[in-house]
Amino acid sequence: MRLELLLIIAFGGAFLTYFLGKISHRVRDYFTVFVSCALTGLVAYLYGNDFEKIFYLGFLGIPLHLRLNMLSWFFAVTVAGVGALSIIFSLRYIRERERTDFYYLMMGLVNAGMLGIVLSGDLVSFYIFWEIMSWSAFLLISYNRGPALAAGMKYIVMSVVGSVCMLIGMLSLYASYETLVITELSVHIASASHGYVLFLLLLFFVAFGIKNAVWPFHTWLPPAHSEAPSPFSAVLSGILVRMGMYGFLVFFYAILGLKLFLGLGRGLYSFHHILAWIGAINIVIPTFIAMLQNDSKRLLAWHGVGQGGYMVLGTVLGTPLGLAGGTFHIVNHTSYIALLFLVVGAVEYRTKGVRDLNSLGGLIKKMPITFIGALVGSCGLIGVPLTNGFVSKWLIYKTLILGGHPLLAFAALIGTWGTILSLYKFLHNMFLGQLPEKYKNIEKAPLSMQFPIIVFSLIIILFGILPGIPLKVINAIGTSFGLETLNVTIWGISSETGTLNTINIFVAIVAACIIVWLISKAGKKSIPVAQADSYAAGASVPVDKYHYTVDFYNPLYRMIAPYLRDFVDEFYMKLAKWTRGLCNGVRRVYVGDVGYYVIYIIFFLALLIFIQLKWSIW
Amino acid sequence: MVVKIIEIIASPIIAFVIGIFFLGLSRKIMARIHWRYGPPLTQPLIDVIKLFTQRSVSHGGIFNLGIILSLGGSIVVVLFLPVGQLAPLSGSGGMLVILYLMLLGPLGIALSGGEAANPNTSIGISRKLILALGYEVPLLFILLSVMTHYETISIVKIVEEQRSAAWSLFSLPLLLPGIAYLLILPAILGIRPFEVVQAPQEISSGPMVEYGGVFLALAQIQHAFSLFIGIALFVNLFLGGASNPAIFFLKMLVVFIVELFINAAFPRLRVEQAVKYLWRWPTLVAFIGLIAILIIR
Repeated sequence: MRLELLLIIAFGGAFLTYFLGKISHRVRDYFTVFVSCALTGLVAYLYGNDFEKIFYLGFLGIPLHLRLNMLSWFFAVTVAGVGALSIIFSLRYIRERERTDFYYLMMGLVNAGMLGIVLSGDLVSFYIFWEIMSWSAFLLISYNRGPALAAGMKYIVMSVVGSVCMLIGMLSLYASYETLVITELSVHIASASHGYVLFLLLLFFVAFGIKNAVWPFHTWLPPAHSEAPSPFSAVLSGILVRMGMYGFLVFFYAILGLKLFLGLGRGLYSFHHILAWIGAINIVIPTFIAMLQNDSKRLLAWHGVGQGGYMVLGTVLGTPLGLAGGTFHIVNHTSYIALLFLVVGAVEYRTKGVRDLNSLGGLIKKMPITFIGALVGSCGLIGVPLTNGFVSKWLIYKTLILGGHPLLAFAALIGTWGTILSLYKFLHNMFLGQLPEKYKNIEKAPLSMQFPIIVFSLIIILFGILPGIPLKVINAIGTSFGLETLNVTIWGISSETGTLNTINIFVAIVAACIIVWLISKAGKKSIPVAQADSYAAGASVPVDKYHYTVDFYNPLYRMIAPYLRDFVDEFYMKLAKWTRGLCNGVRRVYVGDVGYYVIYIIFFLALLIFIQLKWSIW
Repeated sequence: MVVKIIEIIASPIIAFVIGIFFLGLSRKIMARIHWRYGPPLTQPLIDVIKLFTQRSVSHGGIFNLGIILSLGGSIVVVLFLPVGQLAPLSGSGGMLVILYLMLLGPLGIALSGGEAANPNTSIGISRKLILALGYEVPLLFILLSVMTHYETISIVKIVEEQRSAAWSLFSLPLLLPGIAYLLILPAILGIRPFEVVQAPQEISSGPMVEYGGVFLALAQIQHAFSLFIGIALFVNLFLGGASNPAIFFLKMLVVFIVELFINAAFPRLRVEQAVKYLWRWPTLVAFIGLIAILIIR
């Protein structure tokens, strides 16, 4: 099995999909699903392989490297899997829209670009695939037009800044060491001075931090996620954003190595410690902002920012347990945030594009499978035991507490409570509460939408009960970075300082619930009643006039809303406004009329002559 | 193995008995403070049995399952909490698991109540979640100070450490977190001045309003369990746990009676006032405690 074949299938498949769409939409749909599933299968088949391949046909005389190791396999299989499921979801979602061929082409290119990133073994090919991914993502974000265009513009401007930083870093590396191959760089860079390493770290931190939406570079994410088509939001939030995380891992651990990365600065002022604090801010502020949102996708988007903080917090501390937790959190986040975006997509599809949480409600009776997906996804995002989110958060908390960082642990834990509040609002306002009259005849989600929802739900629960499956791979990644091997078993992690046994927890919860259920069977059977038949202390509950999902957390909102403005975004918007003003000023000078330019030249010459006559400098 | 199974069966039963007894006791003591005679101590148990013979309305699947999840989750928390020497499952994840399992109780009630589509329920749940966010801030500082002080995440180890040294409440760096826990305990138990969730006179018992029959019985039992959990956590973390369930019960009883006097003496706050209070004084006290522990280390 050859790596270039994988990329040829991915890119070729994307373009072929476009041309097939010109012939028949049905054939195109089958083909694109086939290609994406085949890619998932091929990547999964490559498990455990470790090889590198060099192509001398090179760009600028630099040979291109493709390589596969545990880290890249881990990301590749996630990319391919999420890509396949979201394409299956897209089949119905996108059917009645315009420019569907273009949509599938871009979806294919995004997935191919991401596969290229994780498979590339040198920074040049990394950069090329990175740009392919970034630009096709831009086209997909602005696919809906209208407000999506502005969101896409915000994204691409920030993305370009990141790319420029990466390019500068790469050029500097090439100038110093004359190579951009990751394995060779890691050897050369060991002798670099701390100042130079810090310079590189800052450049690459900006480059990957923007993609990873790390505070204060997160501002592109909320509008981009909420305006993109839902299946693509799932890919965007699930894995595309996490390419930044992959970049962090590669740069911090594979290139710099553990010793150099952890050795920068001392104590509280060390680089990785400051990064950990950025991670903590990144958890708390976005999670609390999410609580105040009324647009379902925007709410999830803010959580996408917030959960990134857990990953940063876990990975930057450089302990085996923390790295395992942070890396595990990446794949967990992918599964539940993608699931939740697909759930919103299904609701959006059936309600003809309603995302406003204040105007939905009671959909559980109409879309039960979608509700179960939403419930499982929410539990995963909160980190309720029995879901995968719990295991990764447990690992991160344990690292922080035993490592003597209780304040960081506090940030992580309180973030969970913000998550509970906002996700209960999400569930309640969409699925629970009163069903409005206008949604009386809504149908359940189509089968091709239910399928990805069910698969993601199963993954979340499977990894929550048997976390050993992914942790085994993650353990190998940690070992390849030179960290100690963890004692991973199928049910979690055992160690002297505290063992996690998910199977015990699972059995206990299931057994307790079954016992309670059996006890409740002893009582008299309940009578199902209509929605409006409820007790309101003597008054009757008005139907469809009184929507109490609106302002669900009003008391809290009044208290904290003034403090939770996105100051960073306001600053960037002001910066953009100043820049626009400056450019407008410049435009007044460059009017495009030759007469003016002649006058400018004459004035300039006159000035020069005046200076010469007065002070005779030249 | 057999011992373990007996422990697993015994500890929820102990928790149930203590919780139900506390419910009865609270009605009795409150009545005496009001100069009434009050119902017998067994009244809550009689109520639960009676409720099993009555019919309830049902608003759908999650309405029925949510309350079961809530009680099931509360029972599981008890398995992770040391009750005297009984701590059958505490080796499976420690304090962090308890913290997360404590979610299942409110989450189940919230899901179940959400489907009831009753305005009072929704208001009650919204208040419950806001109040929980309010007390969780100081509570996390408290738990983190204890875990940082003893350098472990296992609650059994915390109890053991206190046996060899003094109770946490009286060992100096943990005094402040202990006081903060006492300050927020009424909010955790949902009694006055933080009775915003049930508020019978205002929102007709909030999340409970649609329950009747079996569901109300389960909700009562869940309430008993949550009383037990809130106090048992304090006894384990700050009062040194106990070597057998009887002493454990006595310690809990003292704490509970103190809380009942607070309950009797205070009027109800509004939810914003409650959150403001919780984020101010208890948080400040707990935070200073945590910083002190960090400095001493």
